[in-house]
Amino acid sequence: MSWKVSFDSSIGVQHQKLQMPCQDYSAYSLVNNEVIIGAVADGAGSAKLSHQGAELAVTKAIEYLTSYLDNFQGTYPKNPINFEQNQLLTIIVDYLNEKAESENCLLKDLACTLIAFIATPKWIIAIQIGDGFLVIREQEKEEYQLVFKPDKGEYANETTFVTSDEAITQMKVKVIKGYYPFICAATDGLEKVAIKEKDWLAFPPFFKPLEEYLISTENPENDKSYLVDFLNSERLNARTHDDKTLLLCLHHSSHQ
Amino acid sequence: MAVGLPEFVDNPENRCPVVLLLDTSGSMIGEPIKELNEGLETFKSSLMQDTLASQRVELEIITFGDTVGILQPFVTIDEFNPPQLKASGTTPMGKAIMIALDSLEKRKQMYKDNDIQYYRPWVFLITDGAPTDSWEQAASQLKDAEAKKKSVFFAVGVEGADFNTLREIAPSTRPPLQLKGLDFREMFVWLSTSVQQVSTGKIGEVKQLPPLGWGEVPT
Repeated sequence: MSWKVSFDSSIGVQHQKLQMPCQDYSAYSLVNNEVIIGAVADGAGSAKLSHQGAELAVTKAIEYLTSYLDNFQGTYPKNPINFEQNQLLTIIVDYLNEKAESENCLLKDLACTLIAFIATPKWIIAIQIGDGFLVIREQEKEEYQLVFKPDKGEYANETTFVTSDEAITQMKVKVIKGYYPFICAATDGLEKVAIKEKDWLAFPPFFKPLEEYLISTENPENDKSYLVDFLNSERLNARTHDDKTLLLCLHHSSHQ
Repeated sequence: MAVGLPEFVDNPENRCPVVLLLDTSGSMIGEPIKELNEGLETFKSSLMQDTLASQRVELEIITFGDTVGILQPFVTIDEFNPPQLKASGTTPMGKAIMIALDSLEKRKQMYKDNDIQYYRPWVFLITDGAPTDSWEQAASQLKDAEAKKKSVFFAVGVEGADFNTLREIAPSTRPPLQLKGLDFREMFVWLSTSVQQVSTGKIGEVKQLPPLGWGEVPT
């Protein structure tokens, strides 16, 4: 058993026009092929170094979640225990503060959202600060499940950032028990096309082809053009001008 | 590997409400009203170049002159037909501001009732004179709306406008601006670029707006 993973970020047309960098970042790490740790972050458009903030937050989150897993020394309990969510946030913010000092900028210049998760075949720990979405599908179920409703202010361009004072109270953490072989994390640039805003439900025709892509590919790295082309497609860019990131994970048996 | 592409959910577009409060009093007769009308044409054509923005920016026009009221109820830019404004009468600016604030709150409620996400509304006032009605209450409500982040207010005066009163009306963080000559065209290009930025991403903070080529803070 192992995880197949594919991920990519694509710059928004509005960012291109204004000569801003792509402010999304994502990464993952596999532990013994059985557990995946992933994270995506979306740098605040109004913060000048937020593309760096996004990368730093993702890197640090994965580092922290990996060290948390070390506690179990390769065997994973039925229920995850002693997960310190506040510590995760403190470690990330301390790291961003350090960076702000060395870069001679303000903490808020590194503002970004964060979605992070650890997924084992027995449970998932999901974490979200700000907008974007994490969608999962349980084994033998048709339904794609939106883990957290995106954190929105009154206005469409407002959300909470890792660096916000409210981050600690707005941070959402959930332990989900069960076997969820499909996981999709994305930044808010894809919200409008993937999540039905009326009732905040994941839209299956968006996610199903992405899952099928991972099922059908032998090696996601070789077939990455599917994802890259989709994220850069005119069809998608006509619907969203923001940066877009997808991190797709599929747990599968190796002889599949 | 043959896999179909993701299909998209059909959500309503986010909305970015913009209210133009336009002075159509007698002193605007002639060149000023002509330039203002052309500016509105420019605003439309400039936003139409961006498909997403043209479906998201919603414009309402309130005029104040011999009559005061909503001339153009909220309409998305792709559906907007720029009017030919005519100038006459006095300058009931205070009443116009009250109408704008009231209609914005109603509009927001409509968005909420229909699960439409929206951006912080912009209110853009253009005048060449001074209010002829009582404006104090309007100014205080406007400041309150600004403080509660209900809207973002800009006041633009043509040369000869009463900038002392406009300073009393506008929020202290965003003092009134003086238009260079009658360059409404340039101002509306700026406005369209700005609301386009606001309406198509998370990058629309006021401090990030494009440079003001068309106006200056009057001395």
